[in-house]
Amino acid sequence: MSISNNIWEVAEAYVAGTLTESELGELAGRMQSDTAFAKEFNESTQLIGSITASGKNKRFKTMVGEITQEQTSKQKSKRKFININLLPQVWKTAAVAASVAILTSTITIWSLKPAIKRNDSQYTNISREVAVTKKMQAGQQAELKQLREIIKEGNKPTPPPSDVRYSGTGFALTNDGYFVTSNHVIHNNNKSDFDSVYIQSHDGQYYKAYLVTYDADADIAIMKVEKKNFRFGKGELPYTIATSKAGLGSQIFTLGFPNEDIVYAEGYIHAKNGIEGNDQQYTLQLMAEHGQSGSPVIDQKGMVIGILTAIGSQGEGTNYGSSYAVSSKALIDLMHKIPNEPHLNKTNKLSRLSREEQIAKMEMYTFSVKVYKK
Amino acid sequence: MQSPIYTDQKLLSALASGDRKVTEMIYQQNYSIINGWLIKNGGSSADSADLFQEALVVLFGKAQDSDFTLTCSIGTYLFAISKHLWYKKLQRQSREPIQLDERLGGDEDEQGIVSEDDINAHHEREVHFEQLDAALEQIGEPCRSLLKAFYHHDKSMHVIAADFGYTNPENAKTQKYKCLGRLRKLFYNMQAK
Repeated sequence: MSISNNIWEVAEAYVAGTLTESELGELAGRMQSDTAFAKEFNESTQLIGSITASGKNKRFKTMVGEITQEQTSKQKSKRKFININLLPQVWKTAAVAASVAILTSTITIWSLKPAIKRNDSQYTNISREVAVTKKMQAGQQAELKQLREIIKEGNKPTPPPSDVRYSGTGFALTNDGYFVTSNHVIHNNNKSDFDSVYIQSHDGQYYKAYLVTYDADADIAIMKVEKKNFRFGKGELPYTIATSKAGLGSQIFTLGFPNEDIVYAEGYIHAKNGIEGNDQQYTLQLMAEHGQSGSPVIDQKGMVIGILTAIGSQGEGTNYGSSYAVSSKALIDLMHKIPNEPHLNKTNKLSRLSREEQIAKMEMYTFSVKVYKK
Repeated sequence: MQSPIYTDQKLLSALASGDRKVTEMIYQQNYSIINGWLIKNGGSSADSADLFQEALVVLFGKAQDSDFTLTCSIGTYLFAISKHLWYKKLQRQSREPIQLDERLGGDEDEQGIVSEDDINAHHEREVHFEQLDAALEQIGEPCRSLLKAFYHHDKSMHVIAADFGYTNPENAKTQKYKCLGRLRKLFYNMQAK
């Protein structure tokens, strides 16, 4: 090889150490007499060295990442039962910096979700962010198993083989498939970054849903189950939606899905308006958790008076255990915007029932909303 | 199955070449010690997985230099690096003010094993690679994919020629040189700024 050849060919050979004595001599001579060439040659060898090392470094990190996953999943399976208790407390950060690379990407995705929306630290939306890594949650495992079974059965609706990103709660508006959830469950940080939304009904089946309309300010999204002739339950909905605002001090309860199981909580209307005097909202004294966004807030007579949207973080000016609900009035306003507006049920069948009976009836129409992204 | 017996120096060179079996072995032998220590010092299992991975990358980086020799066992080195990284992380987050030197002063036998320089060199290396990646992102196609295939994914020129539709590896190589030329320009222009 003569060093008058392609500079890269020479640089590669130089880095690989395959240049002969005479070629090295020739190279040294040229570099001494031609400083521009010398600079270019030095840069070239450095670049080859760097990009080679960088590639090697990347492959090593990928490998170590894989080893870590293998090892952790081995350990996880041993400790599965201890971890179940932690399930509702782990959250994925809203913004996983893509630049954090493989080194950390499988590991540090869990941390407390920071307060979002309105730059108000006392206000936290309560959709639940779900593990990206399947191995991370025992509950998720169960869910996947269930998915596989559904897929096996073939004729039933099958969710996409991607991971659940967010989950929230939804409840039926009409028996034929219209339902409502919090807008932030599907549009996280105002980005519609979901591929598909499924509900998991009370019998464990998944149904795909599409977005009908939404109001980002009020934090409501109205959706509909895609399946034809779909019905939530046998008859009409047992509850009605309140058209006016409920009074201060009204006793309320809610049903939602902070985890895989439906959860009941009760409280009262603490203030007629929500955060910063927002009259589309209520302030509630009610313990809520992530995943309960979109849950119905129901009064003693079985009227839905609101939709749970956020919890107050502990701090000045907020009580421990306070949360916020969007008034059902905002929901009714939004429904008016749907062409062929669906008819809401006008007969309340819950008013004379005991709380236990009310809950039993409501359960059929309250479900987990799962947002998927590839 | 009997696993071969390695000396630390042999392990180190295997690690440096990215040998999976050896890396796995080093991982298994050392992870639980670091995990145990970290749990006692306010970290979680997720933290220790992070930390241990980074410590491995530090060691991997050091081991790229064939002149590098360990003055202690691999385990001790990894443990010391992990501690160092953890204290640094705590300092950064200022969860609690920690004087790095004071805390390390407690473990006298570890002094001199790991210096700040090792960690700093590691960070410089990472930054350098990031800059290179940034330049690589800017050169456009097909150069970006071609260089990544060759350098990052370790594909042969034969495979690349087939994947990218060049008539033969020689043509692919000519293209690779052109791409390297563009990358050099971009990278050193960025450096000059």
